[in-house]
Amino acid sequence: VSSEPTFEAAQKELEQIVQRLESGETGLDEAIALWERGEELYRFCLGKLDSAQGKIEQLASRVEASKP
Amino acid sequence: VKVEASLYGDRKVFSVSAFNRGIATWLQRLPTVWVEGEVTELKRHQRWQSVFFTLKDPADGACLGVSMPRGQFDGLRLGLADGDHVHAYGRPELYAARGEFRLRALSLERFGLGDHLAALERLKRKLAAEGLFSAERKRALPVWPRTIGLVTGNDAAAKRDVLAGIQTRFPPAHVVVAETYVQGPRAAGAVVEALRRLSEVPGLDVVVVARGGGSFEDLLPFSDERLVRAIASCAVPVVSAVGHEQDTPLCDLAADVRASTPTAAARLVVPDLRELHERLDRARSGLERGARRSLESKVGRLEQAHERLRRAPALLVERRRAGLEHAAGRLRTLSPRATLNRGYAIVRADEAIVRSATSVESGERIEVEVGDGRFGARVE
Repeated sequence: VSSEPTFEAAQKELEQIVQRLESGETGLDEAIALWERGEELYRFCLGKLDSAQGKIEQLASRVEASKP
Repeated sequence: VKVEASLYGDRKVFSVSAFNRGIATWLQRLPTVWVEGEVTELKRHQRWQSVFFTLKDPADGACLGVSMPRGQFDGLRLGLADGDHVHAYGRPELYAARGEFRLRALSLERFGLGDHLAALERLKRKLAAEGLFSAERKRALPVWPRTIGLVTGNDAAAKRDVLAGIQTRFPPAHVVVAETYVQGPRAAGAVVEALRRLSEVPGLDVVVVARGGGSFEDLLPFSDERLVRAIASCAVPVVSAVGHEQDTPLCDLAADVRASTPTAAARLVVPDLRELHERLDRARSGLERGARRSLESKVGRLEQAHERLRRAPALLVERRRAGLEHAAGRLRTLSPRATLNRGYAIVRADEAIVRSATSVESGERIEVEVGDGRFGARVE
């Protein structure tokens, strides 16, 4: 993903791709291209969620440590 | 009582003492009555058995001396001062030693409550018309007061209640106490002065005016126009905790918030630190739970999309393949090969299909196509 879309934009695009693919109206070549794009978006979203999860754990442990 | 007189010839002569006693005795037969008047020349001494004052008729200045047993007078706690209107209940009496006529009072009541009420009502209407009590003027109390001014009597339970309430709920608050008269003719001015002193305290956030319950008269200073105006124009919000629930001194109306008791005032003026901590803790754990839940739902949605994404191309190819097979099937049905398989043959001469027996000659080379291939033949 070149210009860092937001998580929501990436997720939306991914879901639109899935819908198009499932509609079966795309050509084969286009379907393959869409799949590749979808996988790319999936990896991007997953990375975002992983880093969010990391931040949550970090905050939670800091909160735990600061409890009186 | 028989009053003895001396006889000088036919003249009957009384001694002063006998005369006074006689009159005194006769006066005792008169009934006990209520007399209304204005108190003047009030004299009360510890050494004296009685308290003395003069009742004056405000209409024409007529005067009547009154005596009252000191214990009884003190017990009434009227706090009388010259000029006060009273109803005195008693009987006429002659002080025999001096021949002084006066009223021996058994009880006393302040008169003029109605006057007071009427004056209060007038003042209330006037200040209300000025908008002094209007809801728009009410200021919200600070949420986190650091410095709290407290106007109260010097040893009042009200003071103790407010201080205890504030200390328990919100220990970091700093309370500046301005002790003052809260009763009597000097109270109103003293409270105004206390408010002024407090207003000079740096960083003052809010003021509590606290006074316990009392009689209507006791609370009158808190309806004094100067005091009411001072409260309304106070630079910081004011909580009024004066008297009991049913009393409504005008200062209650002018204050930003009214508290039914001094303890209630403490509750209004500071937050409960412990409760705040608990709420904060709850919010904090809610925060973490919320973040996790939101993340989980996003992960779920993403994985679902991914699953569908993964399956879609294969499904697409599968569908295409099925379509292809279908088309191939139909193609096969339509082609002549099926017919040939059933035993028919196509005969060609010079690549042209032979459709008539007369179009070939004996000895001509032809080509025969059957279900599984072709072979050459010669016409006989």
